[in-house]
Amino acid sequence: MINILTALPCEARPLIEHYRLRGNARHSAFRCYQNDEVQLLICGIGKLAAATATAYLAASEPQRSYAWLNIGIAGHATKPIGEAVLANKIIDAATGQQSFPGIVMPIPCASETLTTVDKPEPHYRETSMVDMEASGFYAAASRFQSCELIHALKIISDNQHHNTDNISENRAIALINDNIITIESVINELRQLAAELDSIKQTPAEIYAFMEQWRFTTYQQNELRLLLRRWHALTPAMPPAPHDFTEYNNSKAVLAAIKGRLDAQPIRFDEANK
Amino acid sequence: MHQVIYIEEAVADHPRTKSICARFPKATKVYCKHYGEIFNRKAQNFRLQKKQPALILAHKHTKHVLDAPDGYGVGGRRNYYFSHMLNCLYDCRYCFLQGMYRSANYVIFVNYEDFQQSIVATAQQHPNEELWFFSGYDCDSLAYEPVTEFTKEFLPTFRQLPNAHLELRTKSLQIRTLLKSEPIKNCVVAYSFTPDEISQALEHGVPAVEKRIEAMVKLQQHGWRLGLRFDPMIYQQGFEQIYQRLFEQIFSRLSTSGIHSVSLGTLRTPKAFHQNMVNLYPKEKLFAGRFEENCGMITYQKELEQQMTEFCHDQLMQYIPQSLFFACTPPE
Repeated sequence: MINILTALPCEARPLIEHYRLRGNARHSAFRCYQNDEVQLLICGIGKLAAATATAYLAASEPQRSYAWLNIGIAGHATKPIGEAVLANKIIDAATGQQSFPGIVMPIPCASETLTTVDKPEPHYRETSMVDMEASGFYAAASRFQSCELIHALKIISDNQHHNTDNISENRAIALINDNIITIESVINELRQLAAELDSIKQTPAEIYAFMEQWRFTTYQQNELRLLLRRWHALTPAMPPAPHDFTEYNNSKAVLAAIKGRLDAQPIRFDEANK
Repeated sequence: MHQVIYIEEAVADHPRTKSICARFPKATKVYCKHYGEIFNRKAQNFRLQKKQPALILAHKHTKHVLDAPDGYGVGGRRNYYFSHMLNCLYDCRYCFLQGMYRSANYVIFVNYEDFQQSIVATAQQHPNEELWFFSGYDCDSLAYEPVTEFTKEFLPTFRQLPNAHLELRTKSLQIRTLLKSEPIKNCVVAYSFTPDEISQALEHGVPAVEKRIEAMVKLQQHGWRLGLRFDPMIYQQGFEQIYQRLFEQIFSRLSTSGIHSVSLGTLRTPKAFHQNMVNLYPKEKLFAGRFEENCGMITYQKELEQQMTEFCHDQLMQYIPQSLFFACTPPE
């Protein structure tokens, strides 16, 4: 699952169409579009708006591991108009704070520093893209997610030869549309990473069946989760089931019985190799 | 191949930075103020980074040489370690580095000269004592040799320090520099082993046991003194057979006369590191076994530890004299 943040509706429109996203009326604070795998929020211009929207979305579904991607247009002194560039360093111009998205996936495009400014600047910065959202987006998203799953992908919309006067809504739509393959490639990589992280963090499914049958305290629930995780590591083909423990009438006895069975399990690594 | 190289601004023009970067012409260079901005930040995932570790080139300002932990040694009274590199190319599931560090990126401290000066100064402080310096604590000593040129740069330092011994601890086949160099008496190339079955399951990316033995044979033929490290010993049902086979496999190829030391160590991980490792790899069989906590360390059960140590020790005694044997277990 991936959360995408754009500042403007025109940056979002090509993505809404490409991924066939539907409006989600549940979110009233921001315009939100989604399908089963992609959730897109239009946050408005500026790092504060980006941070607010990111935190809002993260807090609305804290259970799952989402990847985060800020997509939008950005300026750069020398890069050609229409080039997609992934941020490898995000600098907040106002505070000087630097962040480094963790790049563990193949990058299908160039990568470069991205500086987030509070208001449009008359001059371009040397060797850095310039936008108005990424530092707020990154600062907020990194409260909820690991840096490998938070990225900012920008399409160069203006440079020292073609200034911002040439940018229109239709132009922004075209710039995003022209890079949809690159964007999709980044999204796919991030979704895979998010799925991997989700599977690592996953609670064993049987825990709910055990909790229905016996009453576990919060402490015991944690113990049960760890024991079931051990069970899956030792005998992945034979998941535990509550009916194997029906002779035990309280949670403490069940936990002791599970632990006893696990401790008696022989450990062989050569079986795992086959 | 690295996609990204992070470079501390202060070492951007260091000749070693330039030569390392030249090996990765396609990598994107990203400049930072301090390597900790990338290496020590909170929100990062070691397991995901292990898929594609970045390289970080940095300057080590202080503590170039540190006291080795208790139980880390092969007979010397004064044991030190130094780390020109943090993290390992290999991905051994039992390795404490994955629990100790938040990042799987490789840090190379390019100011080798400061490490060398500290080593010389430490050796000169104790001119009448035998000192041991271990280089394979936070990384594999040889695995990244083509990039770091670590042995090429550090062997000359030890060549001129007769009271300082260097242990290169490794699982690597990168022995070209050693085979090109004149062996020095005060250097031991120590290879770590677990039996084939365990290595295949837990030592990801590590050369096969047989390949490591071949590398040792070449080094021995060239005159290098060798060490054998069975540390940690990993338990599986029927461990006796697989360890017996491993010892046979090794000692049928190596001459004991050129072996400097053999050490055995039990699996022991600080509790906090162990917890991090389990959280990274919850489906890993290694962590699902029976462990207990002893003085803040997660270990196998005492009886099992004893059983494994005694068995392996007895087996080793068939091949080596007691004088070459060292138990790497911290005092209780």
